[in-house]
This record gives sequence, C-alpha cells and structure tokens, in this order.
Amino acid sequence: MAQPVVQTIHRDPALFWWILLPITVVMILTGILRHYAMTLLQTTPKKQDLPKIRQQRSLVRGVNLRTNANVLSPSSFQARKAYMVQAYQEGKFLADPESRGKPRPNPMSDPAAMEGMMGMMKGNMAMMVPQSLIMGWINAFFSGFVIMKLPFPLTPQFKSMLQSGVGTRDLDVRWVSSLSWYFLTLFGLQPVYNFILGSNNAANQVTQQMAMSNPGAGMMGPEQDPDKLFLNEAENLEVLDHQWILEGIEERLVAKFAA
Amino acid sequence: MSQVNLLSPPSHISPDTARKLSLKAPLILSHPPTSSLPWPLSLLFSRETPESWTIHENLFYSSLRTGDETSARQILERMEARFGDQNERIITLRGIYNESIAQSNADLERVFDGYEKILREDPTNMSVRKRRVAVLKALGRTQDAITAVTVLLQNSPTDVEAWAEASELYASQGAWGQAIYCAEEVLLVMPNAWSAHAHIATLHYLSTASNSPPSLPALALSLKHFCRSIELNDSYLRGYYGLKLITSKLISVLSDSASASNKRGNNQDDDEVPIPKIATVKKLEEIATSKLGEIVRNASSGKTGWTGYDQAELIAARELLDGGGKIER
Repeated sequence: MAQPVVQTIHRDPALFWWILLPITVVMILTGILRHYAMTLLQTTPKKQDLPKIRQQRSLVRGVNLRTNANVLSPSSFQARKAYMVQAYQEGKFLADPESRGKPRPNPMSDPAAMEGMMGMMKGNMAMMVPQSLIMGWINAFFSGFVIMKLPFPLTPQFKSMLQSGVGTRDLDVRWVSSLSWYFLTLFGLQPVYNFILGSNNAANQVTQQMAMSNPGAGMMGPEQDPDKLFLNEAENLEVLDHQWILEGIEERLVAKFAA
Repeated sequence: MSQVNLLSPPSHISPDTARKLSLKAPLILSHPPTSSLPWPLSLLFSRETPESWTIHENLFYSSLRTGDETSARQILERMEARFGDQNERIITLRGIYNESIAQSNADLERVFDGYEKILREDPTNMSVRKRRVAVLKALGRTQDAITAVTVLLQNSPTDVEAWAEASELYASQGAWGQAIYCAEEVLLVMPNAWSAHAHIATLHYLSTASNSPPSLPALALSLKHFCRSIELNDSYLRGYYGLKLITSKLISVLSDSASASNKRGNNQDDDEVPIPKIATVKKLEEIATSKLGEIVRNASSGKTGWTGYDQAELIAARELLDGGGKIER
C-alpha cells in the first residue's frame, strides 16, 4: 500500500458565497446585536444603603489594621486593637443589629438576590434565543452541506465535532459541514468581537457560560453572615503578633547611609 | 518636570501649571467630543472616549483654579448634557462650581443648604459629604467641619482623604492627640506613603512645641517617622528638613537630660518608646545636613535629575542650613 487515497470532493464555488459567508456574517452580527441587547437589558446596580456601606468598610478597616499594623507604635496598636475587637464582638458596625445571631433568611425571599437572578436570567435569554433561532435556520436551509476543507489533517475524534449533520462514515475529518461551521464560529469569534466592540463586550458566550457554571461564586459575598465575619476578624486581631517597623530605624538609616 | 497633561495631572498642581492647563480650555471647548449629528450617525462619528471626559473634568478644576469661570460653566454644561444632572459626580462638580462662584458667606450658606438637601435624599453620596466639610471649613466653622468629617468617617472608615482632612482639622485646633490618631489611620491604609510618615512626624514635633521641656517620647517618635519617610524615599526634601530640625532639638534635650541625672532615664524605662542614643542622633544630623546641602546645591543649579523640588521648600531648606536650626515653625 502506498499513500492513502486523498479524497477530493468537487465543491460548487457558490457554496462559499451562499453558505460559508452568510453563516459567518450572521454570527458576527448576532454577537454585536447581543452585546447591545445586553447593554440595554442591564439594570443599574442597586445602590447600597449607608449602614451596609458602614458595615463593609468597617470590616475592611479591621483587615487594614491587621495587615499594616507594623507601622503603628505598640501603644497605639494596642489601643486600636482593643477598640476594634470590642466593637466587633459587640456587633457595633452591623447593618441590622437586631438580626444578629439569627439564621440568614432564604436568599430566594431577598429582593436584592432576586434581582441578581433576574439579571442572570436575562443574560441567558439573550444568549439562548438567538442561538436556537440560528441553529434552526441553519438546519432548515443548509443542513448536509460540506462547505470547506481544513488545510491540516486531524484525528478521527474530531469527526463528530466537524461533521455534524453529514452522515457519512468514510469522509475525511478535514471536511467541515455547515452545522459544524456554525459551532466553530459560535466559540471562535471572541477575538473578532474584541476587535469590533472593545474588550469588555457582552457578546461573549463563553465567559457567560463560565459565569453560569458557578453562579454561587458571585453571590457568596453578601450571603455570608457579617456578624461571623466580624467575630472572625476580631479573633485574627487578637492573635496578631505585632512588630513595629520603626523599631531601630535610626540605626538602620545610619547603616544605610554609611554603606 | 515631566510634561503636564490634562489626562493625568500631578496630584499637587502649582499655580503656574494650573494656568498652563487652563489655557487649553478654548481648544477643547471648540471640539465637542459628542457629535451633533442625528442619532444613528452620531454613533459613527463621535470621537468620544472615556479619556475625553477625564480631560474635561481636569480642565474644569484648573479653570476654576485660575478663575476662568465661563469656561468652567461651559464644561459643566457639556458634562451635564452628557451624563444627566442626577449623576453623583456631576452633582459634586456643580457643587464645586457653585462654591467657587460664591461671593459672600451668605452664598456659601446657600450652597451648604443645597448639600444638606442632596444628602437627605441620598445619604450615601460621599463626595457631597466631603464638599460639605469643605464648605464648613471655608466658612470658618472648624468645629462643625470636624463633626461633619467624623460622621463621614464613622460611615466610611477606609477613606484616606477624609482621615487626612480630619487630621488637618484637628491639628488646626491644636488637638494633637486626635490629629495623630487620624494620621495613623492614613498610614494604616497606605503604609508606604512617605508623605504620610512625614505628616505624623510633623504632628508629633508640633505637639512638643507647647510644653517647655519637650516630651522625649514624642520627639523620639517624630524622629522615627522622619527616618522612615527617608528610608522609603531617599530624596525626600521634607523628610531631611524634619530630620535636621528634630535631631538638633533632640541633641540639646538629650545632652541636658544626660547631664542632669539618670533618674529621668529611669522613669522612661517603662515607657515603650525607646529613646535613641545621642551618638545615633548626631550621626543622623550629619546625614540630614549633608543630604540637605546636596539637594539644595544641585536643585538650585538645575542639574538634571534634581529638578521637581518645590521652590518654597528649597528656600526653607537653605534657610535652615544657614540659620543652623534656629528656625521655629
């Protein structure tokens, strides 16, 4: 046996103009349209009210104190630590001190969380609807066409990916069917969108699918009990080993300039 | 000094720079970033970028500084047309404009009442809260300003700007303890800001000015902070100036206390601020003197790499060197 026979298929050149190009153009335009639809559908993020801001920033203050404690002299650090630990343990900075110690309410009943879910729903809808429409369109008009040949060989595993809709077993993997071209553009157009719309566009399906796959991640923050966070931070402050960076700085400086 | 532009102006703008910046107003005003064409075309032909609005905002500030209120008004109107007059930043900018065109205290009071009204509607508008403090300060009601800034800090305790402002306000009232506390909060957020270290050091130093045998721990702390600011930035003129001032004072105090007796030293054993050894202080003074001399010499001869120092600071440093530390601030 010499070389395997190279498959040749004579394709009508009109396939390029009437299938490959339309699918690509439609996919790009859908992405742009989706971007603008998402921008319109987006609700402005709700403003936090003052107690919430206070609660959050007070916690950050404690974290700052812990991480940068070494700039303070021991006495002022001790004074601050005593104050912060006590305030944290008393729950002084809590947004609603009444609900302290009670279990968190169901996130479904929280209107703010519902709003976030609505936003996600909208995102999904803006993605699903055009996707299914276009797939239907391609299936109706272009199914079963082999429209292009890849310039490089591939292993047979790619057959299901590249030749969906074409039911021939012996066809070389390098031939791409129209439905597969649709999927390729669906996932591969991100750089094009970046070029047209700027880098933080909403036309990207892939990142949205990533965000969807772990919806908990974005919502864990407000989900946690702030009181627990405060108590945790108080404990961290309690056990902190304080070192003063200004200890012996005079000698350090003298040594630095002597060198 | 590097080329000044409107996109990223330096944090401290000298009057000269502000004038240069505001001279760009006519050019920018004659080229609106938004297009005047009808809707679909305007999308295609606008030259609008996020930067163009940053430039507008900075131009607004520098025109107000140079008293070019007509340009400021035009810029403000353009921004209002673009972002709507309910935008938080636009509200603040309009407030700044109203403050700067206020002719009398009564006008300022009116601006202040406007801020109160805004805050009743939206208590989370931090920048308006800050403007409110500024107006109170301008009206000379320092106590009220302190109260306002403490309320702001209770609600937003990570705001460096506000802590620094509170520190200044307390210092102007001579409440050194509170001023130092606030300055330390600034350091907690920005631990490596040499200017913040120098600020604390200055406060510690000023706090010793009132009591006649200056308290050694405060002086020692001041010395430490000045040392730290120099360690962080070894061409920091203000740090060297302070270091020289403190060391010369410390030398006299230390030699006094050493000759008096050792019981003073015994008293301070339980104090946790270690008093520096007089030999170290002397060495530090030499360092400060030589570095100050170097900076003054090189900066006034305009050597490359030595520019960018504030003229007033250079003059003060030269006076300190000539006067041998007799200047009291």
